[in-house]
Amino acid sequence: MFKWFDERLELKKFKEKFLSKTFPTHPTFLLGEIALFSFVTLVITGIFLGLLYEPSSKMVSLFGAMVPAAYASVVRIDLLPMGMLIRRIHHWSAMIMIASILAHLMRVFFTSAYRNPREINWYVGLGLFGISLFAAFTGYLLPYSNFSVTATSIGYYIAKSVPWIGNWISRLVFAGDFPSDSTVPRFFFLHVMLIPVLLIGTIGLHMMILIKQKHTEPASNRNKKEAENGKRLIGIPIWPEQTVISIAFFFFLLFTVVIISTFIPLNPIETYGPPAAGTPVMRPDWYFLVVYGFLKLIPGNLTFSILGGKITPETIGGVLFPTFIILVFVLLPLLDKAKEPQHYITNPLHRPFMTSFGITGGVFLTMFVVSGYIDVLKIAPRTMIYYVLLATAGTGILSYTLLRFYNKNNDGGKNVKL
Amino acid sequence: MVNQSDTGNKAGITRRKFILGAIIVSIAGAFGSLLSVLKVLSPSKKGSGYVSTIAVGDRLVYASGSNIGADLKASSLNTGDAVLVYPKSKSSNPANLVQLIKLNDSDFKAPTDVKLTDKGFVAYSAICTHLGCTVSWVKNESAPDTSYTECFCHNSIFNPATGEKVEGGPAPIPLAQIGIKVTDNDTLVFTSDFTGPIGPQV
Repeated sequence: MFKWFDERLELKKFKEKFLSKTFPTHPTFLLGEIALFSFVTLVITGIFLGLLYEPSSKMVSLFGAMVPAAYASVVRIDLLPMGMLIRRIHHWSAMIMIASILAHLMRVFFTSAYRNPREINWYVGLGLFGISLFAAFTGYLLPYSNFSVTATSIGYYIAKSVPWIGNWISRLVFAGDFPSDSTVPRFFFLHVMLIPVLLIGTIGLHMMILIKQKHTEPASNRNKKEAENGKRLIGIPIWPEQTVISIAFFFFLLFTVVIISTFIPLNPIETYGPPAAGTPVMRPDWYFLVVYGFLKLIPGNLTFSILGGKITPETIGGVLFPTFIILVFVLLPLLDKAKEPQHYITNPLHRPFMTSFGITGGVFLTMFVVSGYIDVLKIAPRTMIYYVLLATAGTGILSYTLLRFYNKNNDGGKNVKL
Repeated sequence: MVNQSDTGNKAGITRRKFILGAIIVSIAGAFGSLLSVLKVLSPSKKGSGYVSTIAVGDRLVYASGSNIGADLKASSLNTGDAVLVYPKSKSSNPANLVQLIKLNDSDFKAPTDVKLTDKGFVAYSAICTHLGCTVSWVKNESAPDTSYTECFCHNSIFNPATGEKVEGGPAPIPLAQIGIKVTDNDTLVFTSDFTGPIGPQV
């Protein structure tokens, strides 16, 4: 049987060329895989949901009440055996996917694997992060509950607040003004077709560049290679070791997600109800909390205009602030360059400035997540701004001092690279 | 001349240059003509945004709760209470959503327009001027006249006694007031249009 296929497809040659590629091992090298596997779970559960979902906000009758057709179809999915579980697995996987992308990005940052020659893949990865966030946002609206409509409406007004081209952009994304009956069909297509195709293509590119450039290796491999005078990557081959590990890991992840989804409810649309006059107390999913918290802190009277473009608090919080974060990520490989190609991960403790910059940035953004809860914590927005600045400055000074001190004590600062 | 055989005509354009030019022109033309699609994909609708259709004399009805759509009774509200209301049979337009608040006549200070209030009742647009969420009412049980309006989306706080002035949070302008009066049969009707802009100020 194998012989029959091998004669036609040259499987042995394929195995020698491709399947024997080596992957270096390190506990942090699995984070990207979590994102990939979550995406697989999302596609599988998404197919189930897509077959049963009705992309329309026209009013239909459900148990005697008039509700949008999309909402009615999601309520019906929830009533199916396993229906609600599959919807929760889909939502939880999305949250886990974005969390693991972020963790993967942090790993690449702190081990400085974004430098020469891997700048291109850093940008492809950033693209994947952005597309995933947009996928999550378009998914918000689809159940068309009170929560969905309020959250999407906020996104709509943020898009509208882009200076100069806000009206055009918001109408392009939301298919006209929101709320209207054309938004759900547009978001449905974006969510189930355009974005997944873009994601699959970009993931493919990310992997191809990875295979071409080879993975970075743990620093310990350098000594091993020097001792053995070897040149090849040290690690495990794709087949069979890496494949077996990956399959086991995929099912372990799936198992974990199913357990979480079974016991922890998420987006209970029956509780939110169909779109109604009142807005409940609500927070977006965790990955939007940074922007959500930032929006709460900007004073409302901060409106001005530049060259005919109107800058409002929404522009600052929803457009300029995210643009600033993206800009930092984009500029990173351009500012922190390496002349020689880097093939080993760097110990973050040996790069006091960049590591402390990363930690400080993380604390800065986390403080805005905390700002999302000022209503619970009973903190005034102005006080919270002081806390944000204090925590950021404190972390910066403390982490940098400690790291410099650590390096001085260990090797007299010989290994320190700014 | 090495390239003699490549020369397409006597004018001196090489075959390579001609093909390169042709490719650039056709790609530019193909994508350029597709740009018009962007306009189609971004439809503009007339009368968009928050445009109220409330007319003077429209009766106030409940906008939420169990008696949604029913006439609002003035006597059902005590000081410190508030309800979301619509003008009767005009509930499909979210711009018509109004928060009706019951305070004491003596509580109102400028810029609240006292002429538009009646028997302690005052009404404001219920659409937050920040990002368009519906505002909520935070009732202080021990001191009902210090209750206030809050948008739970980003915690903008408005003071109903002073024309829904922004007391905190990111809302740029106050919620616009609208005139109401209590009729002889205990219902309420609108007596004016909104005094200012309503909905998100983006």
